Amino acid sequence: MMPELQNASVIVPHGTVERGAKRWWHDYAVMVRWHLSSLRVWLVTLTIVQLLAGVGFVLGISLFFVHVPMTAALFVSTGVPVINLMTVGLILGPQLVADQKSNGSYEYLRSMPVSRSVTAAAWYTVCLIGGVPAMIVSLGVARLRYDLPLHVSPMIVPAVLLTSFAGTMLGYALGHAIGSPMATRLITQLLVFAIFGFAPILVPLSQMPRWLGTLNWWFPFRHMAVVTRAALTPGGHAAVLSAYVVLGLWAIACAGLAGRALGRRP
Amino acid sequence: MMSPPSAEPPAPSTSSAGPPDDWTFRVDALTKRFATLAANDSITLRVEPGEVYGPLGPNGAGKSTLVKQTIGLLKPTSGRITLGRFDLVADPDAARQLCSYLPQVQMPIDSFHVVEAIELAGRIRGASARDVRGRTASLIDSLDLGEWKDALGHTLSGGVKRLVGFCMAIVRPGRLVILDEPTNDVDPLRRRLLWEEVRALGAHGCAVLLVTHNVLEAEKSVDRLAVIHKGRLVAEGTPSSMKAADRSQLRLQLMLTPGTATPALSPWAGPAVRVGHNLVTAIAEADASTAISWAAELTSAGVAEEYALGAMTLEDAYIRLTSHMSGDGDDDGDA
Ligand SMILES: Nc1ncnc2c1ncn2[C@@H]1O[C@H](COP(=O)(O)OP(=O)(O)OP(=O)(O)O)[C@@H](O)[C@H]1O
Ligand SMILES: [Mg+2]
Repeated sequence: MMPELQNASVIVPHGTVERGAKRWWHDYAVMVRWHLSSLRVWLVTLTIVQLLAGVGFVLGISLFFVHVPMTAALFVSTGVPVINLMTVGLILGPQLVADQKSNGSYEYLRSMPVSRSVTAAAWYTVCLIGGVPAMIVSLGVARLRYDLPLHVSPMIVPAVLLTSFAGTMLGYALGHAIGSPMATRLITQLLVFAIFGFAPILVPLSQMPRWLGTLNWWFPFRHMAVVTRAALTPGGHAAVLSAYVVLGLWAIACAGLAGRALGRRP
Repeated sequence: MMSPPSAEPPAPSTSSAGPPDDWTFRVDALTKRFATLAANDSITLRVEPGEVYGPLGPNGAGKSTLVKQTIGLLKPTSGRITLGRFDLVADPDAARQLCSYLPQVQMPIDSFHVVEAIELAGRIRGASARDVRGRTASLIDSLDLGEWKDALGHTLSGGVKRLVGFCMAIVRPGRLVILDEPTNDVDPLRRRLLWEEVRALGAHGCAVLLVTHNVLEAEKSVDRLAVIHKGRLVAEGTPSSMKAADRSQLRLQLMLTPGTATPALSPWAGPAVRVGHNLVTAIAEADASTAISWAAELTSAGVAEEYALGAMTLEDAYIRLTSHMSGDGDDDGDA
């Protein structure tokens, strides 16, 4: 009709509600940018944590030994990638959501016209972007320092994707499904403590009391280490299949909890 | 007024496909209970496309509760909310796509550059990159935010942050634009610019739900007002119709000397409200000269520091309806 219509479309949207795949991908691309930008003020913290976890741990073990035993070097070097993958999704993520809940800005986020699956998928993507490069750097440093017999199999792809997904969804549930931001922060901090000290990621299972090993079986962290390690080192690995299953179940359960909390209208 | 590319008059609420759509916003017998408290009590209202509708009411009246149910953050206990043919309660996806929303609380823009935040908000609302760039530039310009356009959110002052949130809500407005106290913390000059943008939204065919405490400024910018009090809609109408009851009355205001007791009022005065040192009462026009000499006497006796006699304002009508006083001095919208 008239030339004004083109400009008017900026001001007033069409009165249709879009729900198709095209809309999904459009929203996904924009939300990836949104999440990336929302991490901007955390960039320094993020880099420090990733460096500490990666380079710090990998090189740190050499302080304990005159000659670093190959098994120890290999164990730590294949555990650190798990930490790298979880930093954004499990450690920063819930704090970010807790902050948004405390300062009220969570309300705007919930009013955004994007579906819950879009937001979650975009956040997962951002967690991968924040984890994979750090993981590669850590492995590179470990390789250079210890001349490790790393053997990267194609299974690294599902291992990384699932480890990051399970960690991200656990963090997502901690942030969104726990009502009190204080509780979210507290539990996240406890988890960090547990991951570094009491999960068989950096500490071998054989060094732990039996009950702690059994307890770990019910949590996802041990399984993250199993699938990641299996994809990085040669030889057969026991319990890889069950590790994938347990991780998958954790991821689905956490995604469900978070999704339900996000869709709730009190 | 708005600068290009949005300067042209629009073709409001006609869609190219099918008959002209109906985009009336309707709330029917809406009730929302929190435990025993009825935060909204059987509210019914409608807002036509192009109309700026302003719910007023004291703190805790239930205004935010009303808008949160509209955007799908809260679920009504009973009642209906519709926008055209869309049932916003049954279909929160539709609510979020068709309504744009500025919450009363903070916006999540600490890590964002100003322009980036506004553009992304527009992109999330489905506008093309090109459209959103033009519209963002024009909003930055018309709200005089150029100085901060590349600043990071966490470095902004409260008022500027509020204005950025306002831009995010209207960069690609929905059929219904919900603004929950957009002028909070905003300076008087930029408030005026903001009201102009609100008017422009109406002119472009959006229905606007504008919650504000700025009664006197709202008077010039809204088409209709609603007074909400303790969850109920107690009055509704155009600003002038709301003042109609006070038409033959004048407003007498005494600034009492600190430490003095409230002086006894003469029978010609209406019921008085005292907040701090301010005493306000209504008088009939015929009693004006009597009132002036009475007030002048009090002033020379040192009971009052000064007095003012003037036309009743919308604020007086509002106070009468809610029997609340909104602390004169701190409401800096005084004419
Ligand atoms: N989530 C909630 N749980 C319990 N009570 C609530 C909740 N939200 C609001 N209320 C109560 O409902 C009433 C209305 O609150 P609402 O936020 O709608 O007021 P308002 O009119 O927006 O006030 P203000 O002008 O201060 O923003 C208040 O008494 C408030 O305490
Ligand atoms: Mg409110």
